Amino acid sequence: MYKNLSRGYLLLLLLSPLNVKSEEFILILKDHLFYPSEIYVPANKKLKLLIENQDSTPEEFDSFDLNREKVLYPARQSVIYIGPLSPGRYEFFGEFSPNTARGVVIATEVTNADN
Amino acid sequence: MRFISVILLGVLLNLVNTHAYADGIVVDKVYHPYVLPFERELEWRIVSHQTGSGNILAQRIGLGSAINDTMSLEGYIIGERDDNGDFGLAGYEVELRWQLVEQGRLWADWGALFELEKHHNSDVYEATTGFLWEKEFGKSSLTMNAFLVYEWGGDIKNEWESEYRAQYRYRYRSEFQPALELFVGEDFFGVGPGFIGLHRFNGQRQLKWEVGFITEISQSEKNHSFRLALEFEF
Repeated sequence: MYKNLSRGYLLLLLLSPLNVKSEEFILILKDHLFYPSEIYVPANKKLKLLIENQDSTPEEFDSFDLNREKVLYPARQSVIYIGPLSPGRYEFFGEFSPNTARGVVIATEVTNADN
Repeated sequence: MRFISVILLGVLLNLVNTHAYADGIVVDKVYHPYVLPFERELEWRIVSHQTGSGNILAQRIGLGSAINDTMSLEGYIIGERDDNGDFGLAGYEVELRWQLVEQGRLWADWGALFELEKHHNSDVYEATTGFLWEKEFGKSSLTMNAFLVYEWGGDIKNEWESEYRAQYRYRYRSEFQPALELFVGEDFFGVGPGFIGLHRFNGQRQLKWEVGFITEISQSEKNHSFRLALEFEF
């Protein structure tokens, strides 16, 4: 009985919304620099970073804070799914140009303007 | 994709609940379901398994590389020292890791693992297949592996077995991420603490380390395992 219940619970978890539409944020990598280097995003939501590498060489997006690593192929747009993030700063950098290709995602609480 | 996730979960749960468990040292690496293109790695693993009757030491050296955006292939040479103190070549293994979904896209991340092992100087083969699963909870990550193993050959009884591994880690800092690990196999149910770390050098070069101290808790006899894995990515 307990086993069946736990299986059912896990099944429900998987059936819960898996492909919720994520808000998109665009980043450009050009001359080994990220534009913008600071991105403000809403906290506690799943997000999509669309990163366009306009350089002629590949780069590797790396962030321990965001727990993400992703190769950014040249002249191509790459997608990185992040979040939900707690409010705070999440640094990232390019592994091949760590001194120049740096940026930060800043997650902030969204306040309701009507309140 | 949702349908596939449900099917995979069902198989995983059945693997965990099956009564056939794998032989040998169960304590090993907990695999993450991610592959990076251009990734190449040199790996060394050591497991020291201490029981009341003695100590078994298993070591493996592996060299691997990503073969496309979602798959990596790694070959290993395995050595073991038995209770009599004899250390020698024990086997060879080839391993394919496959990242099935983009990290963070779904509720949890999925991957698959396929291994083929040949024992040295004996007619024993072992094929392993299973699922790699990971879910992020803020600064923590839960990783689970469920494997189905088939052993065959002239020097072994053909049989199906299963293994289950889990790791819960807190991403405190890249150099030190404390973890709790669980390993389930034939007559073995072990848990214990561990830690994971990472140091970056220039470019893609980085050194990863994993350490675990696992104690078998389902039986009263002494049964401790120490595991260490070093991976140099370049």
